[in-house]
Amino acid sequence: MTRPRPLERLRATARVLGALWRVNVVEELQYRANFVASLLGTLFWMAMALLTLALFFRHTTRLGGWDYWEVVALLGVFNALTGVIEAVLRPGIGELADEVRSGRLDLILVRPVDAQLYASFRRLDLWRLADVALGLGLAAYAVVRLGRPPSPAGVVAFLVTLGAAVAVVYAIWVALMSLAFWFVAVENLSVLFDAVYEAARYPVSAYPGALRFLFVYLVPIAWTTTVPAAALTGRLRPLGALAAAAVGAAALLLSRLLWRAALRRYTSAGG
Amino acid sequence: MRRWLRRYAALIRAAWLVDLQYRAAIAIWMLWNVTEPAIALGIWWSIAGEGAVQGFDRAEFARYFFGVALVNQLALAWDAWYIDRWIREGEMNFRLVRPIKPVHEAVADNIAYKLRTASVVLLVWILAALVWPPARLPFAPGRWALFALAALLAAAIRFLNGYATGLLAFWTTRATALMELQFGVALFLSGRLAPLALLPPAVARAAHLLWFPYVLAFPVEVLTGAVTTPAAYLRGFAGQAVWLLVWWAAYRAVWTHGIRRYGAVGG
Repeated sequence: MTRPRPLERLRATARVLGALWRVNVVEELQYRANFVASLLGTLFWMAMALLTLALFFRHTTRLGGWDYWEVVALLGVFNALTGVIEAVLRPGIGELADEVRSGRLDLILVRPVDAQLYASFRRLDLWRLADVALGLGLAAYAVVRLGRPPSPAGVVAFLVTLGAAVAVVYAIWVALMSLAFWFVAVENLSVLFDAVYEAARYPVSAYPGALRFLFVYLVPIAWTTTVPAAALTGRLRPLGALAAAAVGAAALLLSRLLWRAALRRYTSAGG
Repeated sequence: MRRWLRRYAALIRAAWLVDLQYRAAIAIWMLWNVTEPAIALGIWWSIAGEGAVQGFDRAEFARYFFGVALVNQLALAWDAWYIDRWIREGEMNFRLVRPIKPVHEAVADNIAYKLRTASVVLLVWILAALVWPPARLPFAPGRWALFALAALLAAAIRFLNGYATGLLAFWTTRATALMELQFGVALFLSGRLAPLALLPPAVARAAHLLWFPYVLAFPVEVLTGAVTTPAAYLRGFAGQAVWLLVWWAAYRAVWTHGIRRYGAVGG
């Protein structure tokens, strides 16, 4: 059998993913009550998060050097990223640990598409995309209240850093899920992500020194919310946006290398 | 009585052995449970700076949130999510034909799991206290004994609260949403995010009309020494006793009525 050329394979993967997403959307449109439930859930947790900030700011005027509306903008970014995670990553790559354990990953590997892309982006939970809209809306409202609308360059920096943030979040998921190839028996690896991501609710500068180092360099969640929010509120220098783009690209590259290394360990199961 | 002790010993042993297979998964759940207090501590630590927030300095925040991590682990309530699934998918059936009520198995699971995990949290706290002075508690065995009682009652209240809420799945498919709602509100009202003294006074007063402070803040404050007067102890334990009875009665009512409606779907 001749292997298809990489570019054709990529095109085929994109076509298959597009078809899968269309099916998902049609499926979800049948369950509109779920949309209301999902929306109410998101609004409830957003309200809790805002009340949390209100409580902190009862006792301080700045959190790690950020004032109230700046942290609210960050919270908006956090919610938008949560939407991406819940709509695409958790139902897709989040299933990987289970599939490695049960051997169902075989069914993905034999398909004539790019296995990493397919495993990562096979599902789209439409309703959770509302979280992205709500999150960005909250961020926009915070910027208005801040009275410092970003310059066109600031908007570009925000979009670049937000893209980098998605790449970093994705790479963290791939890294955590790849652990399943080494530690097969752990079925709740996705909870590890939740534990780490909780810390991204606040600017990294609000944490004591050792934790800050951890969040910037080791578990790089600083790049997921702090940096885009900094771009939006005009705190980020142009060099910062370039650094974020480099970090995002490095994260994607690392996720690819890790995926390859992990697949070499895969021996299937059962049989 | 002897018979019940034997039954419980067997159930706890079985639950302990099941958990043994899932050590890595349990470690991850524990990590998830301690992140929230760790983050809250980090934020309050930086807000307090070198000073104090309404009398709470950094060391006090450290002790408070170590206490929160421990009591949280002891008073976790996950049963509602299982019950919801069992009722919806009919898995409740084979639990009902057993000669012992499902609630006893759940209690035994809770005891086995919490013995294992809370002892780890305690051990981590002791190790942290060795190297990090803010985490140290003054030596007070009498207070620790009272804490043990308060933590036990807190765990019992939250267990019954979660179990009764989970049983609402006999009537509705959104029983777990009610748990989420309570979990979210408890962030403030039970003291998970901050000591109740830092909440707006009206909110703190409202919290004390509900069960939330008695399942977390009260035991933690007993442990850290924030509860000092006999009257405060009495109020706390009386509140725990009342809410224990309320949720026990709620569990009884929901169970007896719900089981009659149960349609045993699936098979």
